[in-house]
Amino acid sequence: MLRIDRRLLENVDWLLLVTAFGLVVISTVTLASLHVGRAGGSVVVRQLVWFALGLVVMVFLASLDTRRLVRAAPAFYLLGLVGLASVFLLGRTVSGARRWVVWGPLSLQPSELFKICFLLMMVWALTSRWAQPVGKLSLAMMLPIVAVPVVLIIKQPDLGTALLLVPVMVILLIGAGVRLKLLGGLALVALSALPLAWFALKEYQRERILVFLDPFRDPLGSAYNVIQAKIAIGSGQLLGKGVTGATQSRLAFLPERHTDFIFAVFAEMWGFVGCLVLLLCYVLLLLRGFDIAATAREPVGRLVALGATSLLAAQVLINVGMVTGLLPVVGIPLPLMSYGGSSMVASFMTLGLLLSVRMRQFQ
Amino acid sequence: MSVTRGSLPRRDAGHRRVMVIATSVVFAFLVLVGQLWYLQVLEGGRFLDASDKNRIRVRPIAAPRGILFDRHGMPLVDNRPAFTLSFIPRELPREDETRDAVLGRVASLLHIPYQDLTDAVARVPSDSLLPVRVRRGLTLAEVAKIEEWKLELPGVITEVEPQRVYPTSRFAAHLLGYVREANDEQLKQGRYRRGEMVGQSGLERLLDEYLRGQDGGERIEVDAMGRPVRRVQATEPHAGAQVITTVDRGIQEAAERAMEGLAGAVVVMDPRNGDVLAMVSTPAFEIDRFTGTIDRDAWLRVVQDPNFPLLNRTIQTQYAPGSVFKIIVAAAGLQERSLTPLDRTYCNGEFRLGTATFKDWKEGGHGTVDLHHAIAQSCNIFFYEAGLKVGGATIVKYASTFGFGQPTAIDLPGEKSGLLPRPQVTRGRQGRTAGYPPGETVNMSIGQGTVLVTPMQVARFMAAVANGGVLWRPRLVQRVERPERLVWSDQGQVAGHAELSPVVWAFLRQSLWAVVNDNGTGAAARIPGLDIAGKTGTAQTIAKSKAEKGQDHAWFAAFAPAKAPEVVIVVLVERGGKGGQVAAPIARKILNAIFFEKIAAVEIAG
Repeated sequence: MLRIDRRLLENVDWLLLVTAFGLVVISTVTLASLHVGRAGGSVVVRQLVWFALGLVVMVFLASLDTRRLVRAAPAFYLLGLVGLASVFLLGRTVSGARRWVVWGPLSLQPSELFKICFLLMMVWALTSRWAQPVGKLSLAMMLPIVAVPVVLIIKQPDLGTALLLVPVMVILLIGAGVRLKLLGGLALVALSALPLAWFALKEYQRERILVFLDPFRDPLGSAYNVIQAKIAIGSGQLLGKGVTGATQSRLAFLPERHTDFIFAVFAEMWGFVGCLVLLLCYVLLLLRGFDIAATAREPVGRLVALGATSLLAAQVLINVGMVTGLLPVVGIPLPLMSYGGSSMVASFMTLGLLLSVRMRQFQ
Repeated sequence: MSVTRGSLPRRDAGHRRVMVIATSVVFAFLVLVGQLWYLQVLEGGRFLDASDKNRIRVRPIAAPRGILFDRHGMPLVDNRPAFTLSFIPRELPREDETRDAVLGRVASLLHIPYQDLTDAVARVPSDSLLPVRVRRGLTLAEVAKIEEWKLELPGVITEVEPQRVYPTSRFAAHLLGYVREANDEQLKQGRYRRGEMVGQSGLERLLDEYLRGQDGGERIEVDAMGRPVRRVQATEPHAGAQVITTVDRGIQEAAERAMEGLAGAVVVMDPRNGDVLAMVSTPAFEIDRFTGTIDRDAWLRVVQDPNFPLLNRTIQTQYAPGSVFKIIVAAAGLQERSLTPLDRTYCNGEFRLGTATFKDWKEGGHGTVDLHHAIAQSCNIFFYEAGLKVGGATIVKYASTFGFGQPTAIDLPGEKSGLLPRPQVTRGRQGRTAGYPPGETVNMSIGQGTVLVTPMQVARFMAAVANGGVLWRPRLVQRVERPERLVWSDQGQVAGHAELSPVVWAFLRQSLWAVVNDNGTGAAARIPGLDIAGKTGTAQTIAKSKAEKGQDHAWFAAFAPAKAPEVVIVVLVERGGKGGQVAAPIARKILNAIFFEKIAAVEIAG
């Protein structure tokens, strides 16, 4: 399986890799600085172990031909659905949500890995002969592909991941050439379904949306995270407070500071300038991804690359958006930065897909 | 348009669409940068202020420990609010000099050694928001002093926490056990947090996981003066489970009063089910002073006390049983038919075995005695002979069916198992034989030599005599309850049976009744209106100094009422003298308290 053509190796996208590794280094330093002068270094060690595992998975995916991968997509997709369903049977509940499957010392978050399966499945459906030309009928047939996992994920409940699938789907549809008029119609249908969705949400999720609309609705409860994160980011000012001065992060005012709110930690320590550098890294990474999609010479590779890039982009935008108070808090990790094994591996899987497309684009 | 599998022309429509998407993503990033510019540059100063003022104090709310009740629902130990002095490391002054000034002021206000304060601060990271407890149990006057100086003492606070309170200073100290902050060793095990109160001995330790409950906590926003502004978030503490013991508080108190000023032990047990009604070990330590922060000197005084107040003498000290053991010899002999009630011996006060002479406790002897009188008057000479007739092996066999030489399996830790003599291997004409040399058997017959027992074992044995041979595992805890459900319960457990024929039981009870009521050695325990059966014992001790010479351990083990026993009582007074003179009157006092109503009724009637 791991037969890698020399010609393929010549086309490895080193810029993409260097940017990604740079982000992992920033993540490690930030996690480590949360623990300077106290116990807890194991977080960094574990993160690095996951990084190593991510690298292996990335190389493996890069060695496969994307088109063959997409041909097998329905199988992956079903496997992913089983994984999602297994959460309800084997899942462990962490702060009210069953998102993790515990297996020995490992706890996996199937929804993180499912994102990749979903992406491949969408590409498979959009490029299948039966779906051509992509119109109303084929869209209707694709509906269950989106609906089934979204319902499963919302049930966990993991609103963030479910919401994430929507922009990825929309971007893939645009990339596949669906007419804007049709997309507009879809959007209208979706909007009219929103009131229904409201009732399907859990109490705390509704509260989060309400608090987003009016942060001071509940300054001591739900908005606590947002307010503390804003204080952390804002107090970083232009140049940041440095590692030791970052009282917000280091004194545990900031909740979930290893995972979803790590951006606020970074922002407090390194200020506006640091944030610019960090966001620039992400933009560089994403532009590289879009370039791979744009220069792909066949539609399957193009859509895979587009989907993979938009998956990363959506996560970064939503995460930073929610931490800075632009979007409601939905619980999406910052790819390559947040502490967490499943997220790290999933991010490297998308990178693997991108590499694979790039390496084969000059064949 | 349609998408087909195959190669694409270089600048196609798909390429254009990707570029459109990429552009909008970059635009979205610009929005983020704009928001960051707003938060960090435009409003940065305001947020910096907010982060500086962000003084959220995390205050753990200690859960009240569960309460231990006696069998009638009377509390054996309770909680009351007590003041605790704490530091909040992060709010203490940053500069060494000003911080030392604050600590110095606290030291002089409360007369605490300065070193203790610096030690307490050094133990935790200096930016911790969690209060560090420095001293518990402050008096109101001390709290007032701290409050008065509050503005000059940043980072110093007083909190109210539940603390153990006992009926009297040394009440049931060994039974209940003391509660202290987790020590370094316990912290190392990782089960406790610093400053957490942990049961360190007795039932408090045994049932710690049930008693401790779940601490709550609150986040409080405080102003620059350290005054709470508002409560941000709170989790209510959950009180520990309630424990219903088998102890009877009235009996426990009576027994403690009766033992005042003496060293020794008292066990009161219900022979019908093995319930321990009272457990007293004296001298006791001051259990209320142990709770909270006891200063090092006071602690050392207790630990190094030559009277070992920390030792639970009812189960952790082994004594020679003295004449109490004669009951076993009599039981073994009667059951094995090597003794009969008709056997008579002339006691002249001396018994010769080879070249050795064994004496009776009574100068000149008891004259002609049979088994009944030998028990009642505790004649040693009779039992020297009886012991040889019965044989060492048989005595040991019966002693062990009555539970001697094995721990009683009571719930408290550190119980001693006592000792029974082991057969000695000798080489004779028939080869190697294991047996007991006559000298040892003679000694054992009156409960001396290598026989060692704990008061709890004697109580269990006496209970078996009272109830016809059932050996109960002594029960201390009936059940542990949380408000909504039963957590743990102990239904009592039979540990074994001692089988004797009914005639033997009847004879033993008759003789034991005579000890107290018919010219016996236990006459001092006699209470008109109450039939008490018992046995005295005087265990010779090895004198370690001249002053100790002739001071024997005094035993009295009894049950009452003799016909239908409800309680068994065992009294041991260390180096107290004769059992009949010292231990029996104490048992009388306690029995008086237990059967107060019954005795009064008889007196009124009579």
